[in-house]
This record gives sequence, structure tokens and C-alpha cells, in this order.
Amino acid sequence: MLKKIMLTSAATMLLTSGAFAQDKTLTISVYSFSQDAFKELVYGPFEEICDCKIVVETGNSIERLAKIEANKANPVIDMAVLSTHDALGAARKGLLQPIDASALSNYDKLYDIAKDPLGDMLGVGYTFYATSIVYRTDKVTVDSWADLLSPELAGNVALPDVSTNQGPPSLYMIGKAMGDTSTDLTASIAAVGENADDIVTFYVRSSQLAQLMQQEEIWAAPVGRFAWGRFKDNGLPMAWATPKEGQTGGMNVMVMTANNGNEELAHKFMDFWLSTEIQTALAEALVDSPANSEVVVSDEVAANLTYGAETVGQLDLLSPDTILDKRESWLDQWNTKVVK
Amino acid sequence: MFENRAVGLALTLPAAIFAAALFLVPVGILLSEAFRIDGSWSIGAYIDFFSSARNRTVFLRTLKLGAFVAGVSAIVGYAAAFVIVSLPPTSRGRIFGLVTLPLMISPVARTYAWLVILGRTGFVNQILVNLGITDTPFRILFSETAVFIGLLQLFMPLMIISLVSAMENMPKDAVPAARILGANWFQVFWRVILALTREGLVIGGTLVFTGSMTAYITPAILGGSKVLMLETLLYQRVTVANDFVSASVIAMILIVMSFSANLLLKRIATARKSR
Repeated sequence: MLKKIMLTSAATMLLTSGAFAQDKTLTISVYSFSQDAFKELVYGPFEEICDCKIVVETGNSIERLAKIEANKANPVIDMAVLSTHDALGAARKGLLQPIDASALSNYDKLYDIAKDPLGDMLGVGYTFYATSIVYRTDKVTVDSWADLLSPELAGNVALPDVSTNQGPPSLYMIGKAMGDTSTDLTASIAAVGENADDIVTFYVRSSQLAQLMQQEEIWAAPVGRFAWGRFKDNGLPMAWATPKEGQTGGMNVMVMTANNGNEELAHKFMDFWLSTEIQTALAEALVDSPANSEVVVSDEVAANLTYGAETVGQLDLLSPDTILDKRESWLDQWNTKVVK
Repeated sequence: MFENRAVGLALTLPAAIFAAALFLVPVGILLSEAFRIDGSWSIGAYIDFFSSARNRTVFLRTLKLGAFVAGVSAIVGYAAAFVIVSLPPTSRGRIFGLVTLPLMISPVARTYAWLVILGRTGFVNQILVNLGITDTPFRILFSETAVFIGLLQLFMPLMIISLVSAMENMPKDAVPAARILGANWFQVFWRVILALTREGLVIGGTLVFTGSMTAYITPAILGGSKVLMLETLLYQRVTVANDFVSASVIAMILIVMSFSANLLLKRIATARKSR
């Protein structure tokens, strides 16, 4: 019996490590979001052409960054995808190395803002999203970020928590609507604090928000475009606002860990992911909006994404330096003024 | 039970090693972090923690909700336990089964149910509106009330179970005897039932209080970031700020509060006994 168990576990180890089947392995660290689609559209097709094995590690950004940092001396992860500010944080800790643009045949096809968002080629954008306000058209009209704090929406609005990726950009836009474009966010955090009783909750996950909208707990909230699909077909009259101050958003980048010894394969994989074919497939599956400007999708698909040079060019994004440098101060202000 | 003490020790050894290696040691390492600043021993992290007004609010809220939930559970629990023990055995078994049934359902499912029930279009508000008590639905979710209701439902069965088993051990004729001797129902409760079941109350109270204080899912779902409790604050410190020092401080505070609650309740119980 014991022998049998040992044999089985040895066989399992052989199968899962995969290192015996192919000599090359690429270890990537990605968001846990839509992994089935990524496996089918990106990892699987790449494995077929590279004669290598992709090992996928998932988790939230903090866990994944902690792991990269812990293995700094002997990197386990070869490439990772992160938000621009998390990537910059990793770069400042010396965990990343520049990406060689000449090794990426699809590099020139990228939108300009995706080409080198961190500086020194430490990251290449592969997707972005707009952040605006979803609202109930039968209850209110939203055409400014300031409407979130208006009397019409008092008691019927949720805002992203300052700790989320949507939080600071939304606060920045609320500030902009109030005539304050400083990234200190002092004015908008104070305004949110004054109106805290009128805000139903400060959400941390867009899935949670979708439920609140469905249950008619709220009529409006700022949200990332990637979550729009959860709202548009919920049976209620929903719209995506185009506020006069513009839309904000965020970008995710691919990064290369320092001294991983697997640079060639990692570059190949990045190039594959950025190719028009793969970016189109991901867009059509509504997984990620394309950063490759040659991607062409139907109007129906485009309506659900952050698509097209015009849309991308109009996004009013907070720079990763700003987010990284001011995050602590925003959190402090938030903790004293909003969650008293 | 064992003729040889060594056999007994040997049999407990695997469990003891397991608990020590996989629980006590890691917890010790984690918690010691909260007493170290730049490599030397210090309680600075605690001073920092309590110097923040927000942290003090969260601490007091956790204490308050824990105490409220334990208090209300005790009041409702005594009434329920009194009825349960006076039932004939078969219906007692059935009712007791109903009381313990919620404990077999995942707290996530139970808490999500409250999200629907307490919502603006939920059951509670529909009744209130239909009865004409209010025109506009009440906002119950994301308030201390919602967290209180969720925690009460989550932990009250533990109180009822403890009190039922304590009352079952009470001499059957204690209550009739007190009544015959002229005690009113308040005196019967205060001087007979309470005195004879205080151990059950201590166990139930400790379970409910520590359970409410350390619950994560209920305050996270029903309270959110507007009604932070120590446990949700701990999670926020780790996942958002990567701040393991504050998290260890909070963990230590929770452990100390749990032990203190138990000691305090025991103290109250024995103080009454000696009088």
C-alpha cells in the first residue's frame, strides 16, 4: 500500500513539475482574474510554439510582490504582470531589469502611453482600463464627477476605498471637478469625509459593487471598465457616464525580474502576448482591452472595452510615481477624515 | 486510565508536538515581531497603534460590539434555555437541533443571507414599509446595527448550548423549592438559576465575546470599511499596507482581550459564589 502511494506521488510530481518533459520552463506571476481564458488564449498557444512549459503563479499584488522580493537573490519568477505603481515599487527595490524593446517585434505597434510607462524600459503596458461612473439612468443623470457627492445621490452612492486601484484616480477626478487638480487629494478626501454619512459604503471589490447595484442599494459608483460587463445586463437601466472632466483609469504592465537567467524566453513570451493576434483574442474574449494599436474588434466588443486611440488618449491617469509616493499620505488623510 | 504514566505521555506527544511546531512556534515568532523595533525589544508599536484616533475607535467598537452581542445572547439565551430544558425529551431534542442547525451552515452563506434580508429592498424593509412604519426604507447595511445582527445570529447558538447544558445539571426541584419558599420570578432567576448556571454563562459568554471580536467575514460583509473592527483592520493592514507590525499588534490585542474576557467572567462568577 505504502509503495503504491509513493509511486503515485512520484508520478504526480513528475507530471506537475513537467521539467522532465521539456527542458525549458518559464515562471510567470499574474492576477488570478480570468485564468481559464489566459490558459486557453495565451499560455497554451505559446507552449505549443516554444517547446517549453509555463508555470503560472497567481495571487493578489501584495502576495506576489512579497514573493518576488523574498526570492530576490535567486529569482523564481521570470516575468510578472502588475499595475504600473506596483511595478514601479518593485523597480525601486531593484527587483526588475529593463525590457529589451529590440527583442519585441510587436513593440512599435503599442499605443505610445504603453511603450515605456515606468521609464528606463522597466515595464511595457499590455492593457488598460477606463474608470468612470456607472449609474441608474431611471434615477439620476451623471455628467460630472462632482455628482457623486450631490444631494440627488446622497445615501445612494458607493465609492471605491482609497486602498483600491480605483480609489485614488476617482478621488483625483472628484478633486478636478471641484477645481483642485493637485495630486495631494486634500480637497477631495475632505469633501468625501464631510459627506461620509451619505456614502453607502467604500467598496473593495467590483464584484461586491455589482451586487449592491443589483439589490438597488446604490444608484451610482465609480468603477473600472473591466467590470462593466457585470452591470450592463443586470436587468436595470444602467449607463456608463462620460463626465465633463473626462475619465480616469489605470494601466497594467509586464515586467522582467532582475537576474532571472531566463530573459530570452521571457522576452519571447512578452512579444507573443503583445502580438496583434493574441491581443485581439483577449479583447474578443472581453478579458483585457488591447494595448496593441493594430487590434481591430467589432463595435459590439469595443463597446465593452477601453478601445481605440481616441479613448486611450483621453484617459486622465495618475502617474505611477504619484501613486507610489503619495499613497501613505492619502491613506493617512483618509483614516483621519473619512473612516473616523 | 493508563497504568504507566509514560504511556499516557507518549500518546499525547504527537499531538503536543504538532500543536507546538505548527501553531505555538509560528504564532510566537509572529507576535514577537510586535515587540521589536529595529532589532531591540520595545512596546513602541503598541503606543503607535493606540495613538491613532481611528485605531482607538476601532478598538472600542470591537469591545462594545463583543460585549453587546454577548450580553444580548445571554438575555435571549436564558429565556430560550429555560424553555428548552422544561420541554419533554423528544421536543427538546428537536428544538435543540434547530438551535444548533445554523452552526452547521457556513458563516459566509449566513452572512450573505443578511445582505439580502437587511437590504433596502430586502425582507425587513419590505415589512416595515408595508406596515406603514416608514415610507423610505431604512439603511441598515454597512452600519454597526448590521454587524451586531449578523454577529448575534452567528454566535447566539453557542450561548444557548452552554446555558442548556448548565441548566440540565441544575437540581430539578431548585426552582419549585424557591417558589414555595416565597421567591418571586426575579429572585428565582437572580438567586437560584443564575447562581447555579454561572459556569455555563462564563463558557457561553467567553465563546460569544471572543467569537464576535475575532469574526472576520461578518464585519467585512455587513460593515465594510465604514465599520472597521479589529479583525477587518488587521486584514487591511496586511493586504493593503503590507504592515505586518500593526497586524501583529492587533493579533496580540485580540489574544489578550480573549484571555481577559475569560478571566474577568470567571472572576465575576466566583465573586458571586463566595458571597
